[in-house]
Amino acid sequence: MTLPVLPIWIVDLYGSVFMIIFSFLCIRQAKKLRANDPNNVVWIYLLWFSYGLAGFAISRSVGHIVKRVLITTGHNDIWLLLRPYSGSVNTIMFVIVSSITLFFERVWNIYQRIIADQKALQEAHNQLLYLNRHLEELVAERTRDLAISEKKYRRLFEMSRDMIAIVDADGIVLNMNPAGLELLGWKPEDVGEKSFRNCFYKPEQWQQVWGDLLKYGEVRDIECIFINTDSTQRNVLLSGYVEAQPGKTFYHFWVKDISRRKDMERKLIQADKLASLGQLAAGVAHEINNPLGIILGYTQLLLRQIPEISEAHEDLKVIEKHARNCKVIVEDLLKFARSAPTRKGRADIHSAIEEVTSVLRHQFALDNVVIEEEFDRTIPKMDWDMNKMKQVFMNLLINAKQSIQGNSGIIRVETKRHSNHIVIKVSDNGCGIPSEFLPKIFDPFFTTKPTGQGTGLGLSVSYGIVAEHGGTISVESEEGRGSVFIMTFPIKDGSGEK
Amino acid sequence: MKRIALLVTILCFILWPLTALCTQVHSQPEGLYGHQLAHLFFIVSMIILVYWLRVMKLIRYKGWRYINYSALFFVLWNIDAMLVHFLDGTNGIFIVTHKGWEGTITISAQNKVEAVLYYMAKLDHVFCVPAIIFLYLGLRALTQQMGNDTALRGIQK
Repeated sequence: MTLPVLPIWIVDLYGSVFMIIFSFLCIRQAKKLRANDPNNVVWIYLLWFSYGLAGFAISRSVGHIVKRVLITTGHNDIWLLLRPYSGSVNTIMFVIVSSITLFFERVWNIYQRIIADQKALQEAHNQLLYLNRHLEELVAERTRDLAISEKKYRRLFEMSRDMIAIVDADGIVLNMNPAGLELLGWKPEDVGEKSFRNCFYKPEQWQQVWGDLLKYGEVRDIECIFINTDSTQRNVLLSGYVEAQPGKTFYHFWVKDISRRKDMERKLIQADKLASLGQLAAGVAHEINNPLGIILGYTQLLLRQIPEISEAHEDLKVIEKHARNCKVIVEDLLKFARSAPTRKGRADIHSAIEEVTSVLRHQFALDNVVIEEEFDRTIPKMDWDMNKMKQVFMNLLINAKQSIQGNSGIIRVETKRHSNHIVIKVSDNGCGIPSEFLPKIFDPFFTTKPTGQGTGLGLSVSYGIVAEHGGTISVESEEGRGSVFIMTFPIKDGSGEK
Repeated sequence: MKRIALLVTILCFILWPLTALCTQVHSQPEGLYGHQLAHLFFIVSMIILVYWLRVMKLIRYKGWRYINYSALFFVLWNIDAMLVHFLDGTNGIFIVTHKGWEGTITISAQNKVEAVLYYMAKLDHVFCVPAIIFLYLGLRALTQQMGNDTALRGIQK
């Protein structure tokens, strides 16, 4: 079978011409792309790729055309001479085009990287431009925000009811809020000069707090005792942490005054203890009261039957006397335990006070003890068991007198009305009560007096009577300077100037 | 001094050449093999280009899609050209006679399939012309979209 070569020749010739034409058109398009963005590495790559393909198209197509022309014109020998060169150039162009092609991925990645960097630079540039244009406004806005923030936190600092203090590495107080100054009794000028350790009553507590701060970086809710400039001790709860800043370290402290809470706790414990004791005393008194009545009854019966001059009569008298003493004690115990019946009536408390002072004033005057009175006459009439209240004032005044050991003394009775309660104070300038006795003075049978001079029931009974009237009684005392007994009674609804 | 010694050595090699026995002798088929390997290299590079165009999802854009087609046609053309070169080097299948513009290809009765394949493969411009046209179209599409949305070209500014 024989096939014509002509179709192959025609396709070869026209194809070669097309290849050359389109390769140049490709270069033209690639140049347009690069002209639009001369630094774009992708367009540069495409231009080089087009150059490579144009080289390949020319080497191949020219070779084919020359071959056809030479063979057709009978110059086969010349073609045989040129053929190896044509083939070699063609091979080289393949390799060049292929090599250029292989760089596509790398070129694309470089391009992406350039774009990302360019974008970041552009954003930074835009931001700089924006900052440059609005610098003054931004600074003003930031300053305003800072001022608001400063004001807000300053207010918190100033208004806090707990102490807030900032201390430097040497322990010197750099800043302290008004609550702190008030707690310690410091003056504003003390800040910046005094050390925080001066606040502590016990130096070992400061050492422990400071050591823990340095070790752990913070301390939480440590109970300490602070000392005021007037030597008053305050129970406080202390927290602190270390604020480390470049080149400087600060220590921040929060201190909560828990003295009032502690005092309340003490009072609660005291009240609880006295309530328990009251129950016990009432139980015992009831049990003793009946047999005591029988003993006294039979003693009195026997006394009537036995002649007065006999020895037995004298013995029975002694039994009767001691039985009566016991009965008094039992009655006092019942009063303390509030088991004895009360008879309340509307009355002015001042009349009870005046009645007692009028009885005692003359007797006290013999020992150079003066009773001073300062009454608030706005106190309304209230429901009082006047006999029992007289007993309370009697107990307190006699105790006050006994505490005055020198040649002279002053006992002062004050009344004062507050919005919803009245306060009655009985104070003296006697020897005071040692602090270790203070928690026990309302306990039944607790007395510091020599045996036989007191039963230890006076203050217990007073406590019971005050409690029965819905009030409270407390004592403030300093050894060597005197004591103040403070009674507080609520003004109940319905009380008034009736 | 060193330069003078180097010059003298080079002159000696030029003026008194001797047979370089240590150099490998290149026989005739090496040219054909080198050419075929160049085709193979061309194929590999074009396949890699197609791979990256797909991986980078550039074929979503018209311009790059045409360039992708161009690369595929170049792959086909290279395969075609390699086949023709292979059959050109095989004796006994056909005889080509040149008589001006009216040459013939005489096919032997035993190798009809190979000979027809050879005849068809000789029309290799059927592949390489579309390849370069697609490249042109791709570049033109990228140029045309220059003023439009740059994302259409897969190029961000």
